Amino acid sequence: MKAIRTLFHHLRPRFEEGGPYHKLYAFYESIETVFFGPVERSEGLPHVRDSLDVKRFMALVIVALIPHLCFGIYNSGFQSRLASGLSTDLLPVIWSGIWLVLPMVIVTYVVGFAWEILFAVVRKHEISEGLFVSCMLFPLTLPPGTPLWQVALGISFGIVIGKEVFGGTGRNFLNPALTGRAFLYFAYPVSLSGDQVWTVLSGARTTVVDTFTAATPLSVSASIPAGQGVEETLHSMGYGALKLFGGLYPGSVGGTSALLCILGGLFLILLGIASYRIILGGVLGVLCTGALLNLIAGPDSAPFLSLNPFYHLIMGGSAFGIVYMTTDPVSATHMKHVKWIYGFMCGMLTVLIRVFNPAFPEGVGLAILFMNLFNPLLDHIEVQLRMRRRIPNV
Amino acid sequence: MISVRTAKGYDLPIKGAPLETSQTIASPATVAVLPEHIPFVRPRLAVAEGDRVAVGDLLFTDKTNLRFRFLSPGGGRIDAIHYGPRRVLREIVIRRDVENEPVTSLGRPLDGEAIDRYPRAELVAHLLAGGVWPLLRALPYRGIADPEQVPPAIFVSLDHREPFQVPPARYLENNRALFELGLRALKRLSPTVHVHADAADRAFCEAHQGLITHTVQGRYPADDPGVVLFHVRRSPEENTAWFIDGQDVLLMAHLLQSGAYPTARLFAVAGTGAAEPRYVASRLGAPIKDLAGEIGCRDPRYLVGGVLRGYTGDPEGHMGLYETALAVLPEPGDVDFLTLFRPGPNKPTYSRTFLSALRRAPLPMTTNVNGGRRACIACGYCADVCPVDIWPQMTLKSILAEEVEEYLAQGLLDCVECGLCTYVCPSKIELAATLQAAKHAYRKEQA
Repeated sequence: MKAIRTLFHHLRPRFEEGGPYHKLYAFYESIETVFFGPVERSEGLPHVRDSLDVKRFMALVIVALIPHLCFGIYNSGFQSRLASGLSTDLLPVIWSGIWLVLPMVIVTYVVGFAWEILFAVVRKHEISEGLFVSCMLFPLTLPPGTPLWQVALGISFGIVIGKEVFGGTGRNFLNPALTGRAFLYFAYPVSLSGDQVWTVLSGARTTVVDTFTAATPLSVSASIPAGQGVEETLHSMGYGALKLFGGLYPGSVGGTSALLCILGGLFLILLGIASYRIILGGVLGVLCTGALLNLIAGPDSAPFLSLNPFYHLIMGGSAFGIVYMTTDPVSATHMKHVKWIYGFMCGMLTVLIRVFNPAFPEGVGLAILFMNLFNPLLDHIEVQLRMRRRIPNV
Repeated sequence: MISVRTAKGYDLPIKGAPLETSQTIASPATVAVLPEHIPFVRPRLAVAEGDRVAVGDLLFTDKTNLRFRFLSPGGGRIDAIHYGPRRVLREIVIRRDVENEPVTSLGRPLDGEAIDRYPRAELVAHLLAGGVWPLLRALPYRGIADPEQVPPAIFVSLDHREPFQVPPARYLENNRALFELGLRALKRLSPTVHVHADAADRAFCEAHQGLITHTVQGRYPADDPGVVLFHVRRSPEENTAWFIDGQDVLLMAHLLQSGAYPTARLFAVAGTGAAEPRYVASRLGAPIKDLAGEIGCRDPRYLVGGVLRGYTGDPEGHMGLYETALAVLPEPGDVDFLTLFRPGPNKPTYSRTFLSALRRAPLPMTTNVNGGRRACIACGYCADVCPVDIWPQMTLKSILAEEVEEYLAQGLLDCVECGLCTYVCPSKIELAATLQAAKHAYRKEQA
């Protein structure tokens, strides 16, 4: 520890005013404060300050996401080897998964961090830690094996257009990770949609083995002909409720397991980092809309309408989106009570997009981005309503 | 007694409270007046270094209202007059003749019945001439009350929810009659006088049932007069209510009863930097070093008034007119290695992100900001603690955008300057200071 302290002590002057690397001070500072928290004397009103800072706030979100990354590594490797007819023993699966997922994560972090440093240097401020969360979320929403140049392009768009052009973390109104994800989705639909992209074949195979279902539960549900039951069809394809809940099926890297989302969501709510209002609102939105569709579903309507609402929560990325994407505090509503409305609308739109728009099998990302646009309006409404209740003091 | 409940607020779990049993008496060699820390006053000096003064002699008046007189809390010689940057008048230090202190008479002594018969205008003149008028302050700006006005109400606050304040039970112990005399005088100034105390001090509230009109429930700063007003007001006219601290009522009553300028003051000395946290019965404007006693840390900061709302005192300086608490906290030294990854059982926090959230034990604190400055991430903690339902993050944005109507409508003037929003902010934004500055700027514009 003393050695590290001495090292930083030694390096610091080179990055400070007048040093040769002064321009990279933001980078140096972000590394140093990981090892030794910053020391700054308060100026009063008040003289003491809470121990929590943004660094820890964001680091805890990353902690919540680590199980998703680990599970994503396992699941990607598992699906890949299963589809290729290879052995699914633990070690080879993890090895394949690491090769599929880690390069995406590393590319995201390197590219995202580079943009952030560039903007921090030009704007002369410190690096805001929201970036590290965005860079963790982004690869988890992609199919495993997305070409790395697309990963780099996507996170660049997310960080630069989704965030930095508005002034950086805290001033963006869209979720940066989802902005990047949506950009890739519309720019490169071939590598990001359809049934084939969710599993990567290993070895020499060019087609999946016959016993393997490459179609995701969502695309299965969306394409069932009228007259068949959805749950039964899903079950016959190997997508039972338990499997969907656990998450061991083809899908995005980190978003398939509803179980991990519940655990991560509880962790973040218990620590007071994610808003339970948004998460519960989102869950209610999905369930209510699903139930409403059940009511209007007739014998001739698409079977997707009569799907048990709980399936909407455990299939695809809705749970992941509701727990980790809607709750980004900056792009969510800032006022307390409209968070319920925001969450509910996200859940509702997710189901509506899934059921009524065959072009988009998964709607959660677009639903959240769409609702992000309304959040300033929702905030404005709550502020106005609450201002009216006050006894004026002017 | 009416019960007033505040749902928000926060009690700081800070270590170093004064020991209940420890009280000492001090007779300091010097005392001082600090014009710099009397709100909105522009002093016009009436003395020079070397002059001889008695207790109750005029030291300076206020250029903006010449009726505001500030009198000497000590008898002896003017030892020094200290100026700060831009010639701001910092301190007028009086070296006392401890053995035989001269005292000026400030009018005839009055008893309760005499006060009841006293015409209001004459009572006001008496308090102004006696130098205790500045103890009465007016909301929302917390400057000295305007003697030309009749306030809608006066709030007498027996508050001590901010860490390390003197509990009212301690200064009222042998002074109840004097306190009641002060209340009688206040009732001549305003038709309504509210006396509020913390409902958590059940024994105190029961013992003084006849005095207390409102009991307040809730965390700091539930017993601040601004917060109580926020909950009890029915119309905008009440916003300009006056307030006075419990100990200051005693000072006012002392002047009326004896005809001499009051000088007694009970201080709380606390904080992890103070080797002996205790109460000290001393003099108005007592020297900080004398009060602080032995120091238990390497690099101390002296906080005059409290750890949240106080100001940094000069160790060679003195206590101000209003402040009755002195906290000594260590300045930050080397920070822990890899704090970011530690569970933090000893890290004080409002949030639930450290293990300390599981046990509400008092923890040592330093004056470290504890983090880098960031843009607002809209965590909403500031709105969760604001006792008067302001949403500081929204109001901050209105202030920065200079939307005057907007931030006034959001309740800027209700702000009680408690400092909690800044305390809890993970982005380390100076919310309270910005709101306070906006309030003061608006006041200046109105004048």
